[in-house]
Amino acid sequence: MHDQAISWHAAWPAPRLSARRNPDRFIAITAWLGAIAVTTVFFWIVVDLIRLGGAQLTPAFITNAPTSAGRAGGIGSVLVSTALILGVCLAVSAPLGIATAILLAEFTREGNRYCTAIRRSLDTLAGVPSIVFGLFGYAFFCVYLRMGFSILSGGLTLACMVLPILTRTAEQGLRSVPDEYRYAAAAVGMTRTQTLRQLLLPAAMPGLVAGVVLGVGRALAETAALLYTSGYADRMPSSLADSGRSLSIHIYDLAMNVPGGEPNAYATALVLVGLLIAINATAVWLGERWTHRKLSTA
Amino acid sequence: MSKPWAAFIVVLSFALVGAGCSESSAEAGATHRIVITGSSTLAPMIAEIAKRFERDHDGVRIDVQAGGSTRGITDVRSGLADIGMVSRQLGAEERAALHSHPIAIDGICLITHRDNPVAAPTHDQIIAIYSGRVTNWQSLGAPPRPITVVNKAQGRSTLEVFLKHFALRSDQIQASVIIGGNQQAIKTVAGNPGAIGYVSVGSAQYAAEQGTPIKLLPMGGVPASVRAVAEGDYPLSRTLIVVTAHPSTGWTERLIDYAQSPRVHDLISEHYFVPITD
Repeated sequence: MHDQAISWHAAWPAPRLSARRNPDRFIAITAWLGAIAVTTVFFWIVVDLIRLGGAQLTPAFITNAPTSAGRAGGIGSVLVSTALILGVCLAVSAPLGIATAILLAEFTREGNRYCTAIRRSLDTLAGVPSIVFGLFGYAFFCVYLRMGFSILSGGLTLACMVLPILTRTAEQGLRSVPDEYRYAAAAVGMTRTQTLRQLLLPAAMPGLVAGVVLGVGRALAETAALLYTSGYADRMPSSLADSGRSLSIHIYDLAMNVPGGEPNAYATALVLVGLLIAINATAVWLGERWTHRKLSTA
Repeated sequence: MSKPWAAFIVVLSFALVGAGCSESSAEAGATHRIVITGSSTLAPMIAEIAKRFERDHDGVRIDVQAGGSTRGITDVRSGLADIGMVSRQLGAEERAALHSHPIAIDGICLITHRDNPVAAPTHDQIIAIYSGRVTNWQSLGAPPRPITVVNKAQGRSTLEVFLKHFALRSDQIQASVIIGGNQQAIKTVAGNPGAIGYVSVGSAQYAAEQGTPIKLLPMGGVPASVRAVAEGDYPLSRTLIVVTAHPSTGWTERLIDYAQSPRVHDLISEHYFVPITD
């Protein structure tokens, strides 16, 4: 082994050796620069938000209702509306999306025509601009189903929008579980349901969580789909049939339509980004914990 | 059944039950509900007026939704909204079909970067700039710098008012940048020393007072300011209106009367528009 290594090195003249190493270093440096650039952009955004909106961000800002079109007061009612919209969205999209993912990954073969059709349509839906979902939600939920401008309409429209991304990520998560798990489960005589519940879903948990987090991220960031469905009212919602303004719409309105709304737009954006980070971290933590518990006790 | 699934089902059932309850309570409740949709320029101000109206009157609830003047008109005609907010002029057919009620006046002015030495371009010079015949500030006696023409997107009401005043057609305009709202126009011009654009006088005056590097150009010799618009001397303005499908009655009528009364003039001024006094 040692001899071989020496002769292998000897076979390469010195200049070729450095030429072989330099590309490695080049790739490493490029990768680092890329990573630094990406994180710089993120930190730049956060620092900018803190600089421009940090002063407005007080506990009262989080709990109070907006006044003077959002220039004064806080975002209490807007936060509640956002949470309700997100709740409706996830309550509908997560079970549907994960069920579809299970069908695609576990109950059908890779080349199945019907599944290929489902995947194609999901991928196409994932690329549809959100304003199209907004107009669809307006026509279908608000007008045709007579839900009007309501948190329910907004949440259901968002559910349609995040379904593709959620399903596809969850499917990938399930597919990444090695087939040996399935064989082993079959070998010990576990039923399909048992295998799924006790083995595959816990093992695929990181993928499922990633799907839900991506969905939540897209839903929280959405304005166009919500402007036409859940609407614009900034009062505290008393039910899901009320119109409610999401954080993203509040930011949009303050930045675009309200002269003097910018400081509070920045503060709201800061809350939104903080929320995204918190949701992301919690979901990852929960997913890991669940995977460990399930796989170690199963 | 494992916990997360149970949680999903609990949330889902709560959502459905909640929706069901609210549906029935909305039908049984004594509160009257007024839906207002339309112009995003008007929406923040109308929402504030609506809040004050709700505070002063029991048993009424007003939902204000933004989405553009055309949507306001469509929603009123389809019955989805009781009142539409419109910041552009109504077409002949729309005027025949709808009842309009003026609420406030908004002036429109040209803005340039604060460092641009051109003080007062003439009517013809502005037409020349916007139709692409003049493309450098040098032609107006300033140091050479290419002109960046900022125009509004199709369907924006300020675009329609601007075109009408300068007797221009949309296809004649040679725009370098096409933007949406007033705030975006102000940001674009503030960031480009060669830019010229047009925005609501109120928004521009507020931004300039806050230190944004823009300059309001006089129009037809009248300096652009909210006061000049209020005094009626300023030549380029639009009337912000609300429309209804039928002659308004009941709560809708009371709300519109309220919005036209001096009780809300402070709210109108707070949004940098001009109340209508006659």
